[in-house]
Amino acid sequence: MTKILIIEDVPDNAELVRRIMSARGYEVLHAMDAETGLEMAVATVPDLILLDLGLPDHDGLTLAGWLRAETTLANIPIIAYTAWPPDTARQMAETYGCNGYIGKPIGSVKEFAAQIESFLKV
Amino acid sequence: MNSTTTTGIKLIPASHFTVEQLTAIYNQTRVDYMVPMPMNEARLIEYINTYDVDLEHSLVARQDDQMLGVAMLGVREDRAWITRLGVIPNTRRGGVGLALCDGLLEQAESMGIRFQMLEVIKNNVPAHTLFLKLGFYEVGELLVLRGSPIIPPADPVVADVQRLDRNEALDLVGQDRGTQPWTNQSETLSNASEVSGLRITLVDGSTGWLVYQRQKFLLTRFAFKTQSGNPVDMARAFLTHLHHQYPRLDTQLENIQVHDPHLPAFHESGYVESFRRVEMWRGSPPASLIGQGA
Repeated sequence: MTKILIIEDVPDNAELVRRIMSARGYEVLHAMDAETGLEMAVATVPDLILLDLGLPDHDGLTLAGWLRAETTLANIPIIAYTAWPPDTARQMAETYGCNGYIGKPIGSVKEFAAQIESFLKV
Repeated sequence: MNSTTTTGIKLIPASHFTVEQLTAIYNQTRVDYMVPMPMNEARLIEYINTYDVDLEHSLVARQDDQMLGVAMLGVREDRAWITRLGVIPNTRRGGVGLALCDGLLEQAESMGIRFQMLEVIKNNVPAHTLFLKLGFYEVGELLVLRGSPIIPPADPVVADVQRLDRNEALDLVGQDRGTQPWTNQSETLSNASEVSGLRITLVDGSTGWLVYQRQKFLLTRFAFKTQSGNPVDMARAFLTHLHHQYPRLDTQLENIQVHDPHLPAFHESGYVESFRRVEMWRGSPPASLIGQGA
Protein backbone atom coordinates (compact mmCIF):
# COMPACT_ATOMS: atom_id res chain seq x y z
CA MET A 1 0.00 0.00 0.00
CA THR A 2 1.30 3.49 -0.84
CA LYS A 3 2.33 5.29 2.35
CA ILE A 4 1.94 9.00 3.03
CA LEU A 5 3.56 10.53 6.11
CA ILE A 6 2.01 13.76 7.31
CA ILE A 7 4.09 15.78 9.78
CA GLU A 8 1.65 18.25 11.32
CA ASP A 9 1.12 19.49 14.88
CA VAL A 10 -2.59 20.30 14.61
CA PRO A 11 -4.45 16.98 15.05
CA ASP A 12 -7.58 18.17 13.20
CA ASN A 13 -5.55 19.07 10.11
CA ALA A 14 -3.80 15.70 10.13
CA GLU A 15 -7.08 13.85 10.66
CA LEU A 16 -8.63 15.58 7.66
CA VAL A 17 -5.73 14.50 5.45
CA ARG A 18 -5.94 10.97 6.85
CA ARG A 19 -9.66 10.75 6.03
CA ILE A 20 -9.24 12.09 2.53
CA MET A 21 -6.32 9.89 1.55
CA SER A 22 -7.38 6.72 3.45
CA ALA A 23 -10.66 6.79 1.54
CA ARG A 24 -8.62 6.59 -1.65
CA GLY A 25 -6.69 3.54 -0.49
CA TYR A 26 -3.53 5.14 0.92
CA GLU A 27 -1.94 4.35 4.25
CA VAL A 28 -1.51 7.59 6.18
CA LEU A 29 1.04 7.89 8.99
CA HIS A 30 1.14 10.91 11.29
CA ALA A 31 3.88 12.59 13.31
CA MET A 32 3.14 15.57 15.57
CA ASP A 33 6.60 17.16 15.58
CA ALA A 34 9.83 17.37 13.62
CA GLU A 35 11.97 14.92 15.58
CA THR A 36 9.24 12.23 15.54
CA GLY A 37 8.68 12.97 11.87
CA LEU A 38 12.34 12.40 11.05
CA GLU A 39 12.38 9.14 13.02
CA MET A 40 9.22 7.88 11.32
CA ALA A 41 10.44 8.90 7.89
CA VAL A 42 13.71 7.02 8.32
CA ALA A 43 11.99 3.96 9.83
CA THR A 44 9.13 3.66 7.34
CA VAL A 45 10.49 5.28 4.13
CA PRO A 46 7.09 6.59 2.99
CA ASP A 47 6.19 7.24 -0.65
CA LEU A 48 5.43 10.90 0.07
CA ILE A 49 5.92 13.31 2.98
CA LEU A 50 3.43 16.12 3.57
CA LEU A 51 5.25 18.61 5.77
CA ASP A 52 3.69 21.39 7.83
CA LEU A 53 6.17 24.29 7.96
CA GLY A 54 5.20 25.40 11.46
CA LEU A 55 6.14 22.67 13.94
CA PRO A 56 6.54 23.02 17.72
CA ASP A 57 10.04 21.62 18.24
CA HIS A 58 11.89 22.68 15.08
CA ASP A 59 10.97 24.68 12.05
CA GLY A 60 9.46 22.68 9.17
CA LEU A 61 11.97 24.06 6.68
CA THR A 62 14.81 22.91 8.92
CA LEU A 63 13.23 19.46 8.91
CA ALA A 64 13.03 19.52 5.10
CA GLY A 65 16.80 20.04 5.03
CA TRP A 66 17.41 17.02 7.33
CA LEU A 67 15.04 14.83 5.34
CA ARG A 68 16.84 15.71 2.13
CA ALA A 69 20.19 14.90 3.76
CA GLU A 70 19.03 11.33 4.54
CA THR A 71 20.21 9.15 1.65
CA THR A 72 17.25 6.74 1.96
CA LEU A 73 14.84 9.65 1.59
CA ALA A 74 16.67 11.59 -1.10
CA ASN A 75 14.14 10.74 -3.82
CA ILE A 76 10.95 10.80 -1.74
CA PRO A 77 8.63 13.67 -2.70
CA ILE A 78 8.42 16.22 0.13
CA ILE A 79 5.48 18.58 -0.14
CA ALA A 80 5.36 21.70 2.04
CA TYR A 81 1.92 22.20 3.58
CA THR A 82 1.47 25.80 4.64
CA ALA A 83 -0.72 28.87 4.94
CA TRP A 84 2.09 31.12 3.72
CA PRO A 85 1.35 33.34 0.71
CA PRO A 86 1.82 31.38 -2.54
CA ASP A 87 4.96 33.22 -3.72
CA THR A 88 6.73 32.76 -0.37
CA ALA A 89 5.61 29.14 -0.07
CA ARG A 90 6.85 28.35 -3.58
CA GLN A 91 10.21 30.02 -3.01
CA MET A 92 10.77 28.45 0.41
CA ALA A 93 9.74 24.98 -0.78
CA GLU A 94 12.15 25.21 -3.71
CA THR A 95 15.01 26.60 -1.59
CA TYR A 96 14.73 23.73 0.90
CA GLY A 97 14.51 20.93 -1.66
CA CYS A 98 10.78 20.27 -1.44
CA ASN A 99 9.05 19.06 -4.59
CA GLY A 100 6.21 21.55 -4.23
CA TYR A 101 3.72 22.99 -1.80
CA ILE A 102 0.03 22.72 -1.02
CA GLY A 103 -1.74 25.69 0.57
CA LYS A 104 -3.77 25.56 3.77
CA PRO A 105 -6.61 25.33 4.46
CA ILE A 106 -7.84 22.57 2.14
CA GLY A 107 -10.41 24.17 -0.15
CA SER A 108 -11.55 21.21 -2.22
CA VAL A 109 -11.10 17.60 -1.13
CA LYS A 110 -11.00 16.41 -4.73
CA GLU A 111 -8.38 18.99 -5.68
CA PHE A 112 -6.24 18.22 -2.64
CA ALA A 113 -6.24 14.48 -3.38
CA ALA A 114 -5.41 15.17 -7.03
CA GLN A 115 -2.46 17.35 -6.00
CA ILE A 116 -1.08 14.65 -3.71
CA GLU A 117 -1.52 12.01 -6.40
CA SER A 118 0.22 14.17 -8.99
CA PHE A 119 3.32 14.31 -6.75
CA LEU A 120 3.19 10.54 -6.24
CA LYS A 121 3.23 9.95 -10.01
CA VAL A 122 6.27 12.12 -10.74
CA MET B 1 -1.82 41.34 39.97
CA ASN B 2 -5.25 39.90 39.25
CA SER B 3 -7.48 42.49 37.64
CA THR B 4 -10.81 42.45 35.89
CA THR B 5 -11.57 44.91 33.08
CA THR B 6 -14.91 46.57 32.48
CA THR B 7 -15.64 43.91 29.85
CA GLY B 8 -15.25 41.13 32.40
CA ILE B 9 -11.87 39.98 31.12
CA LYS B 10 -9.69 38.83 33.98
CA LEU B 11 -5.92 39.35 33.69
CA ILE B 12 -3.82 36.87 35.64
CA PRO B 13 -0.02 36.81 35.97
CA ALA B 14 1.47 34.19 33.67
CA SER B 15 3.54 32.94 36.60
CA HIS B 16 0.33 31.43 38.01
CA PHE B 17 0.31 28.93 35.14
CA THR B 18 2.60 26.02 34.36
CA VAL B 19 4.79 26.14 31.27
CA GLU B 20 2.64 23.35 29.87
CA GLN B 21 -0.48 25.49 30.27
CA LEU B 22 1.20 28.58 28.81
CA THR B 23 2.44 26.58 25.83
CA ALA B 24 -1.06 25.26 25.20
CA ILE B 25 -2.65 28.73 25.43
CA TYR B 26 0.00 30.28 23.19
CA ASN B 27 -0.36 27.55 20.53
CA GLN B 28 -4.15 27.94 20.52
CA THR B 29 -3.80 31.66 19.83
CA ARG B 30 -1.58 31.02 16.78
CA VAL B 31 -3.37 28.10 15.20
CA ASP B 32 -4.77 30.16 12.30
CA TYR B 33 -1.77 32.47 11.79
CA MET B 34 -0.14 32.72 8.40
CA VAL B 35 3.21 32.20 10.18
CA PRO B 36 1.98 30.10 13.15
CA MET B 37 5.35 29.53 14.95
CA PRO B 38 4.01 26.92 17.41
CA MET B 39 6.19 25.95 20.38
CA ASN B 40 6.66 22.99 22.64
CA GLU B 41 7.48 23.41 26.33
CA ALA B 42 11.24 23.21 25.84
CA ARG B 43 11.12 25.88 23.18
CA LEU B 44 8.98 28.18 25.32
CA ILE B 45 11.37 27.80 28.28
CA GLU B 46 14.29 28.67 25.99
CA TYR B 47 12.36 31.67 24.70
CA ILE B 48 11.60 32.90 28.23
CA ASN B 49 15.23 32.56 29.31
CA THR B 50 16.83 33.95 26.17
CA TYR B 51 14.65 37.03 25.94
CA ASP B 52 14.38 37.81 29.68
CA VAL B 53 10.63 37.26 29.72
CA ASP B 54 9.27 38.13 33.16
CA LEU B 55 6.35 35.79 33.84
CA GLU B 56 5.38 37.68 37.01
CA HIS B 57 4.57 40.66 34.81
CA SER B 58 3.26 38.72 31.79
CA LEU B 59 -0.46 38.10 31.53
CA VAL B 60 -3.07 35.51 30.66
CA ALA B 61 -6.60 36.70 29.88
CA ARG B 62 -9.55 34.66 31.08
CA GLN B 63 -13.30 35.11 31.28
CA ASP B 64 -15.10 32.76 33.65
CA ASP B 65 -13.50 29.39 32.84
CA GLN B 66 -12.54 30.27 29.28
CA MET B 67 -8.95 31.09 28.29
CA LEU B 68 -8.88 34.09 25.97
CA GLY B 69 -5.27 34.92 25.26
CA VAL B 70 -1.76 35.59 26.47
CA ALA B 71 0.86 38.34 26.26
CA MET B 72 4.40 38.33 27.60
CA LEU B 73 6.70 41.06 28.82
CA GLY B 74 10.49 41.04 28.46
CA VAL B 75 12.34 43.28 30.92
CA ARG B 76 15.90 44.60 30.63
CA GLU B 77 17.02 47.53 32.76
CA ASP B 78 14.78 50.44 31.75
CA ARG B 79 13.35 48.73 28.66
CA ALA B 80 10.36 46.44 28.22
CA TRP B 81 9.34 44.27 25.27
CA ILE B 82 5.86 43.09 24.37
CA THR B 83 5.90 39.64 22.82
CA ARG B 84 3.88 36.48 22.18
CA LEU B 85 0.64 38.45 22.18
CA GLY B 86 -2.17 36.25 20.96
CA VAL B 87 -5.92 35.89 21.29
CA ILE B 88 -7.70 32.56 20.80
CA PRO B 89 -9.50 32.79 17.43
CA ASN B 90 -13.13 32.39 18.52
CA THR B 91 -12.73 35.09 21.18
CA ARG B 92 -11.24 37.81 18.96
CA ARG B 93 -12.81 41.23 18.39
CA GLY B 94 -13.90 41.44 22.02
CA GLY B 95 -11.18 43.74 23.32
CA VAL B 96 -8.92 40.95 24.64
CA GLY B 97 -5.81 42.13 22.78
CA LEU B 98 -6.33 45.69 24.00
CA ALA B 99 -6.87 44.52 27.58
CA LEU B 100 -3.70 42.40 27.50
CA CYS B 101 -1.60 45.22 26.04
CA ASP B 102 -2.99 47.79 28.46
CA GLY B 103 -2.23 45.35 31.24
CA LEU B 104 1.37 44.86 30.10
CA LEU B 105 1.94 48.61 29.78
CA GLU B 106 0.62 49.05 33.32
CA GLN B 107 2.98 46.31 34.49
CA ALA B 108 5.93 48.04 32.82
CA GLU B 109 5.00 51.39 34.30
CA SER B 110 4.62 49.83 37.76
CA MET B 111 8.31 48.91 37.48
CA GLY B 112 9.18 52.47 36.42
CA ILE B 113 9.81 51.44 32.79
CA ARG B 114 8.61 54.12 30.41
CA PHE B 115 10.02 52.73 27.17
CA GLN B 116 8.49 49.71 25.43
CA MET B 117 9.36 48.02 22.17
CA LEU B 118 7.85 45.26 20.04
CA GLU B 119 7.81 43.75 16.56
CA VAL B 120 4.68 43.00 14.58
CA ILE B 121 4.51 40.85 11.44
CA LYS B 122 4.11 43.11 8.44
CA ASN B 123 0.55 43.18 7.13
CA ASN B 124 -0.93 42.01 10.44
CA VAL B 125 -3.27 44.99 10.24
CA PRO B 126 -5.35 44.38 13.40
CA ALA B 127 -2.27 44.12 15.63
CA HIS B 128 -0.53 47.06 13.94
CA THR B 129 -3.62 49.22 14.38
CA LEU B 130 -3.89 48.23 18.03
CA PHE B 131 -0.27 49.20 18.71
CA LEU B 132 -0.67 52.57 17.00
CA LYS B 133 -3.74 53.20 19.14
CA LEU B 134 -1.67 52.46 22.26
CA GLY B 135 0.93 55.06 21.31
CA PHE B 136 3.54 52.91 19.59
CA TYR B 137 5.27 54.36 16.53
CA GLU B 138 7.16 52.65 13.71
CA VAL B 139 10.94 52.78 13.75
CA GLY B 140 11.84 50.45 10.91
CA GLU B 141 11.34 47.24 9.02
CA LEU B 142 13.06 43.96 9.87
CA LEU B 143 13.76 40.92 7.72
CA VAL B 144 13.66 37.26 8.64
CA LEU B 145 16.06 35.46 6.31
CA ARG B 146 16.67 31.76 5.70
CA GLY B 147 19.76 30.08 4.31
CA SER B 148 19.14 26.52 3.17
CA PRO B 149 21.74 23.75 3.63
CA ILE B 150 20.63 22.45 0.22
CA ILE B 151 22.56 25.29 -1.44
CA PRO B 152 26.29 24.47 -1.55
CA PRO B 153 28.44 27.25 -0.07
CA ALA B 154 30.75 29.27 -2.28
CA ASP B 155 34.51 28.80 -1.87
CA PRO B 156 35.82 30.54 1.25
CA VAL B 157 37.09 34.06 0.66
CA VAL B 158 40.86 34.31 1.25
CA ALA B 159 41.21 35.83 4.70
CA ASP B 160 42.81 35.42 8.07
CA VAL B 161 40.07 33.77 10.15
CA GLN B 162 40.29 33.48 13.91
CA ARG B 163 37.74 31.31 15.72
CA LEU B 164 36.34 32.91 18.86
CA ASP B 165 35.16 31.10 21.96
CA ARG B 166 32.05 32.16 23.87
CA ASN B 167 33.76 34.76 26.07
CA GLU B 168 35.64 36.35 23.19
CA ALA B 169 32.44 36.38 21.12
CA LEU B 170 30.37 37.98 23.88
CA ASP B 171 33.02 40.66 24.40
CA LEU B 172 32.58 41.69 20.76
CA VAL B 173 28.79 41.70 20.93
CA GLY B 174 29.03 44.24 23.74
CA GLN B 175 30.76 46.71 21.44
CA ASP B 176 28.72 49.38 19.71
CA ARG B 177 26.54 47.85 16.97
CA GLY B 178 23.97 50.62 16.95
CA THR B 179 20.43 50.23 18.20
CA GLN B 180 19.16 46.69 17.76
CA PRO B 181 15.74 45.04 18.09
CA TRP B 182 15.22 43.13 21.34
CA THR B 183 15.93 39.74 19.79
CA ASN B 184 19.41 40.83 18.66
CA GLN B 185 20.56 42.77 21.72
CA SER B 186 23.69 41.74 23.60
CA GLU B 187 21.65 40.29 26.50
CA THR B 188 20.06 37.82 24.07
CA LEU B 189 23.44 36.45 23.01
CA SER B 190 24.64 36.39 26.64
CA ASN B 191 21.60 34.32 27.61
CA ALA B 192 21.96 31.90 24.68
CA SER B 193 23.95 28.66 24.77
CA GLU B 194 26.54 27.49 22.18
CA VAL B 195 27.59 31.00 21.18
CA SER B 196 30.88 31.45 19.34
CA GLY B 197 32.27 33.58 16.55
CA LEU B 198 34.75 34.40 13.82
CA ARG B 199 37.10 37.36 13.60
CA ILE B 200 38.14 38.09 10.03
CA THR B 201 40.92 40.11 8.44
CA LEU B 202 40.77 40.40 4.65
CA VAL B 203 43.87 40.68 2.46
CA ASP B 204 43.24 44.43 2.03
CA GLY B 205 43.40 44.85 5.83
CA SER B 206 39.63 45.17 6.37
CA THR B 207 38.47 43.73 9.67
CA GLY B 208 35.20 42.50 11.09
CA TRP B 209 33.52 39.78 13.12
CA LEU B 210 30.52 37.51 13.28
CA VAL B 211 28.97 36.02 16.41
CA TYR B 212 26.35 33.26 16.14
CA GLN B 213 24.56 30.54 18.05
CA ARG B 214 24.89 26.96 16.89
CA GLN B 215 21.83 24.88 17.71
CA LYS B 216 21.43 21.17 16.97
CA PHE B 217 20.34 21.66 13.37
CA LEU B 218 20.45 25.41 12.97
CA LEU B 219 22.77 28.43 12.94
CA THR B 220 20.99 31.48 14.28
CA ARG B 221 21.20 34.71 16.33
CA PHE B 222 23.78 36.38 14.13
CA ALA B 223 25.47 39.56 15.34
CA PHE B 224 28.10 41.08 13.09
CA LYS B 225 30.10 44.17 12.48
CA THR B 226 32.51 45.48 9.86
CA GLN B 227 35.11 47.44 11.81
CA SER B 228 36.91 48.70 8.71
CA GLY B 229 36.36 48.12 5.01
CA ASN B 230 33.39 47.22 2.83
CA PRO B 231 30.51 45.52 4.72
CA VAL B 232 29.48 43.40 1.73
CA ASP B 233 33.03 42.02 1.31
CA MET B 234 33.21 41.32 5.03
CA ALA B 235 29.82 39.55 5.09
CA ARG B 236 30.81 37.50 2.04
CA ALA B 237 33.91 36.37 3.94
CA PHE B 238 32.17 35.40 7.16
CA LEU B 239 29.32 33.63 5.37
CA THR B 240 31.59 31.52 3.16
CA HIS B 241 33.76 30.50 6.11
CA LEU B 242 30.81 29.79 8.38
CA HIS B 243 28.96 27.65 5.84
CA HIS B 244 32.10 25.70 4.99
CA GLN B 245 32.46 24.94 8.66
CA TYR B 246 28.80 23.84 8.99
CA PRO B 247 27.61 22.75 5.53
CA ARG B 248 24.67 20.67 6.79
CA LEU B 249 23.10 23.22 9.11
CA ASP B 250 20.10 25.32 8.26
CA THR B 251 20.35 29.08 8.95
CA GLN B 252 17.76 31.51 10.25
CA LEU B 253 18.42 35.21 10.76
CA GLU B 254 15.84 37.07 12.80
CA ASN B 255 15.14 40.74 12.50
CA ILE B 256 17.90 42.07 10.31
CA GLN B 257 17.32 45.73 9.63
CA VAL B 258 16.14 46.27 6.08
CA HIS B 259 18.88 48.84 5.39
CA ASP B 260 21.72 46.77 6.87
CA PRO B 261 24.71 47.33 4.55
CA HIS B 262 25.78 43.66 4.80
CA LEU B 263 22.54 42.38 3.23
CA PRO B 264 23.67 42.06 -0.42
CA ALA B 265 26.16 39.37 0.61
CA PHE B 266 23.38 37.35 2.22
CA HIS B 267 21.29 37.50 -0.93
CA GLU B 268 24.32 36.54 -3.06
CA SER B 269 24.81 33.52 -0.81
CA GLY B 270 21.30 32.28 -1.53
CA TYR B 271 19.52 33.55 1.57
CA VAL B 272 15.83 34.20 0.97
CA GLU B 273 13.37 36.43 2.75
CA SER B 274 10.85 34.49 4.80
CA PHE B 275 8.77 37.41 6.02
CA ARG B 276 9.05 40.95 7.42
CA ARG B 277 8.28 42.54 10.73
CA VAL B 278 7.73 46.16 11.64
CA GLU B 279 9.60 47.38 14.72
CA MET B 280 7.64 49.76 16.94
CA TRP B 281 8.59 51.78 20.02
CA ARG B 282 6.59 53.62 22.66
CA GLY B 283 8.24 56.44 24.61
CA SER B 284 11.73 57.89 24.25
CA PRO B 285 14.53 55.37 23.85
CA PRO B 286 16.70 55.32 26.98
CA ALA B 287 20.47 55.59 26.99
CA SER B 288 20.71 51.87 27.75
CA LEU B 289 19.23 51.13 24.32
CA ILE B 290 21.19 53.66 22.32
CA GLY B 291 24.51 53.13 24.03
CA GLN B 292 24.40 49.51 25.20
CA GLY B 293 26.23 48.25 22.16
CA ALA B 294 23.45 45.82 21.49
